[in-house]
Amino acid sequence: MKSCRLNLLLAALAAALCACGSDSPSVDSPQDTTSISTEPLTSAACPAVNFGKRPAPLTLTAATPPALQVFGVGNETGRYTAEVAARGTTAYTTTWGARTAVGNKIDIWDVSGATPTLVDSVIVSGASTLGDVAVSDDGKLLVVATERSGGSIVIFDLTDPRHPRQISRFTNQETDPGVHTAEIGRVNGKLYAFLSIDPVGSIHAKLVIVDLSDPANPQQVYSKVAGNPYVHDTFVRDGLLFVALWDDGVEIWDIGGCGTGATPAAPRVLGNVHTVGGQVHNIWWFHDASGGKRFAFVGQEGPGSIGSSSAGDIHVVDISDPTAPKEVGFYHVDGAGTHNFSVDEANGVLYAAYYNGGVRAIDVRGDLKTCLPSQQNFTTGGNITRCDLRLMGREIGVGLVELNRGVYVWGVQYLGGTIYASDMVNGIWKLKAAK
Amino acid sequence: MQAIPLVTPADPTATRSILTEGYLTQPMLMAHAGWRSLHGVLTLNFEGLTQERGELTTGAYGEGYVDRRHPHAYVHELLAGVEDSVRGTHLSLYAGRGFAPFGSDDPMVRPFEKYPVNHHLAQILERVLVVGAARVGPVIGELGVFNGDEPLSPGSPPRYSRFGDSWSSRLTYLPVRFVELAASIAQVKSPEVPDGHGLDQKKYDVYSRYDRRTADSRVYGLLEWAHTNEHASGAISTSLSSWMGEAAVCKRDAMAGVRLEGADRPEEERLADPFRTPRPASDLSNLGVSHWTTLTVALTAPRLVAKSFSARPFVEAARIHAGRGDPPGLFDADLRYGTSSMWMYSLGVRLKVGTIHDRMGRYGAAVVPEPGTGNGSNGSHNMPGMVMPGHSTNSVCTL
Repeated sequence: MKSCRLNLLLAALAAALCACGSDSPSVDSPQDTTSISTEPLTSAACPAVNFGKRPAPLTLTAATPPALQVFGVGNETGRYTAEVAARGTTAYTTTWGARTAVGNKIDIWDVSGATPTLVDSVIVSGASTLGDVAVSDDGKLLVVATERSGGSIVIFDLTDPRHPRQISRFTNQETDPGVHTAEIGRVNGKLYAFLSIDPVGSIHAKLVIVDLSDPANPQQVYSKVAGNPYVHDTFVRDGLLFVALWDDGVEIWDIGGCGTGATPAAPRVLGNVHTVGGQVHNIWWFHDASGGKRFAFVGQEGPGSIGSSSAGDIHVVDISDPTAPKEVGFYHVDGAGTHNFSVDEANGVLYAAYYNGGVRAIDVRGDLKTCLPSQQNFTTGGNITRCDLRLMGREIGVGLVELNRGVYVWGVQYLGGTIYASDMVNGIWKLKAAK
Repeated sequence: MQAIPLVTPADPTATRSILTEGYLTQPMLMAHAGWRSLHGVLTLNFEGLTQERGELTTGAYGEGYVDRRHPHAYVHELLAGVEDSVRGTHLSLYAGRGFAPFGSDDPMVRPFEKYPVNHHLAQILERVLVVGAARVGPVIGELGVFNGDEPLSPGSPPRYSRFGDSWSSRLTYLPVRFVELAASIAQVKSPEVPDGHGLDQKKYDVYSRYDRRTADSRVYGLLEWAHTNEHASGAISTSLSSWMGEAAVCKRDAMAGVRLEGADRPEEERLADPFRTPRPASDLSNLGVSHWTTLTVALTAPRLVAKSFSARPFVEAARIHAGRGDPPGLFDADLRYGTSSMWMYSLGVRLKVGTIHDRMGRYGAAVVPEPGTGNGSNGSHNMPGMVMPGHSTNSVCTL
C-alpha cells in the first residue's frame, strides 16, 4: 500500500511538472484518484449499468516481456484451425478454408494434460468453413457458425462434453451466404446468439439476433443491415451489445441492460466511436476485479497474408459514457496484427491472439486513460492523443514467437491459469498464463 | 460480331483433376457510329449468358473467379464522344462505360484466345468514365476519371455514386512506324468492395508494342510490365507484379504465336466451388501471393470465308508453373492442384461476321494510327464496306 501511495504521489508530481508550458493535446496525466472520484458512475442514457469508479493509475516500467511458457501442442495439420472455446478440461476448435480437407470439422481436445489430445471430432454437414465457436455460460450448449456454403449456426448439446450431439441448425435467407461470427450471451436470463452475416454481391452485411432459449427450436428476433462495409463481430454482456462495424467503428446497443425497455428484439443504439484506423473486428468489454466497467478493448484487423503477415492494433475505449465512447489508448506490435481476445479479469490481463505475432499478454489493471506525456501518442488522422500501452509497461508476456516455428494464432482463451491458443497452421497450443 | 466455340482441357486444375469444358466464349457485338465530330462506341459481351461459370483458365483470377476467367459485363463498352483537331492537336472527350486509360489492349483483341494472368494488373475495364485525350505528333496523353468498383456480375450496374473516386493516365509515344511505347499510372479506390472501404490500388504499367502489317503478313509483339500495390490506410499491404512477352507471326493468314508470362496472383479463400472466391471478402486479408509462369503457344489456321462470315480455327497449348510468391502465405500449389506444373489446351474456332475492333481500350485521339493510314479515329467513317479505323478487316492476318 505504501508503495502504491508513493507511486501515486510521484505520478501526480510528474503530471504537475508536465502540465507547465505544455500546449499539446493531452490525455489526463497520472493523478490521485481523489480528484476524479466525482466522475459519474452511471450514464443517464443507461441508468441500470454502474460503470464503477475509474481505477487508480498504475505505474509500471516498460521492459522486454518474457516468453509465456508453452506446455504443449495438439496438432491439426489436415485442416486450418480457426477459433477455440474451452470449458473444464475440454477444448473445441473449429476449422477453416481448404487445406488437404475443407474446414468442416470441429476438433474436441482433452486439455487436462500438458499436451492437448484429440478425443473426438464432428463433421458439420453442408459446410466448408466453420469460423466461430462458443460454449454457453452454463456449459450446456456449443454453438458453431458455418460460412460460405450456406450460412447457419449449428447447436450442439454438451451433456457429454467430449461428444457433442447436434440438436438443431438455424438457417434462413438472412444467414446466407455465411455466418462470419456467432457470439452467444444471456440477456435478462434468456440465451441469445448474435450473428454477423457476410455480405454477398450487392447484398449488405447484417446483424441477426436469434433466441436460443429453446435450443432445439431457435427463433430469429431481429435483423438489421450493419457495418461499413460489413459487421464483423459482437460482444454481449450485462444487456449491452457491442457491435464491430469495421470502418463505422464500434456501436454500443442497449438490448436490455439499461433498464429502459430495450430488448434484443428492439435494441436501442446508445453511442458510437470510430477508433483510429477503423477495421473494427472484435471487442471485449472489460470488468475489472474491483467492479469497474469503464474500458472496452477493440481489435483492429488490418490487411495481411494469412500464414505470413498481419496488421492491426488493440484500441482501448473509455465507455463510461456509452453515448460518447472515446478512444484513450492503444497497443501496437510491429509486423503483426491482433485477432481475438480473452481476458483474465481477476488478474487484469488481456490475452490477444496476434496471428504471426503469437500470443500477447497485456496488463490492463488500473486507469488505462492516464499516462505520462512520454507514454502518449498523438494521432493526426484521428486528432486524438492516446496512451501507448507498450510504453506504459503493460506488455507482460509474449507466447509462441520464440519457437520460430511459424504460427498464425486465430484465437485465445484464458481458463484457470492456462491459455489455449488456436493456431491456423499447427492446431491448439496450451500455455501458462502470464505472471 | 464474334463468337468462339471452345473446348479447354486443363490438366490438372483447381479440382486436382483433369477437367475438360466447352462453351461459347467471347460472344460479342461491336459497333461504331459517327456523325461529324460526334462518335459512339459499343461492345456488347454475352459471356454472362454462355459461360456464367467462367472460362477454364488456369492461373486466371478476378471478380470472384479463380482459375477461371470471369464473364465480362454485358455492356463492355458504351461511350459517346467528341473529337476535333485544333492547330495540329487531335483532341477527344469520351464518356460512358468502358476502359480506363491504362495498360495494354484488352486480351480479347490480341492473338491468343486465353487471357494472361495479368488481366487485372494490366487493364481497368467496364467502368463509368470520362476520358480525355490529346495527340500531338507522336505523343498521346490521356486522363480518365471513373468509378473504382469492379462489376459484380455481367448484368450488375456500376455504382454511379462512386464515379470520380478513381483516375488513371496513360502517355503513349510513337517513335517510329509500327512501334508504340506507353506508360500508365492509376489510382483505383476499393475495386473489390463495391461499398468502398476495401483495399485501394495504385497501378503502374509500361509496355512496348510492335505491329507491322502488309497485305499478306503481320508481325506482332508486346512486352509489358505491370505492377499493383494494394493499400490500406496509406500502407502497402500487397504488391503484385507481372512481366509478359507475346509475339505472333502471320503469313498468308496462318498465324503462329508464343507468349511467356510471369505474374503474381493474390490468393483468396475459396468457396465450396473451388473456382470461386467470396465477393466481397469479409476482411482485407488474403491467403498469400502465388507466382505463375506460363508459356503459351498458339497456332491459327487461315480463315474460311463466305461473304462477310469467317471462321478461323486455332489451337493453343500452355505449360503452367505455380510457385510461391511474396509473401507466400498459405499458398501451396501441391496442396491446391496436386502439382505445381500443369497443362492447358484450347481448341476452338473464331467465328466472325463483319468486322470487330482491331484495338480495344483506347478512344478518340488516343487510338493509335494504323501504320500507313494516318488515321486514328475510332468511328468517324462508319460506312458499310469501308475499312473502319480501329476495326479489323476481313483481309488476311487479322483476328
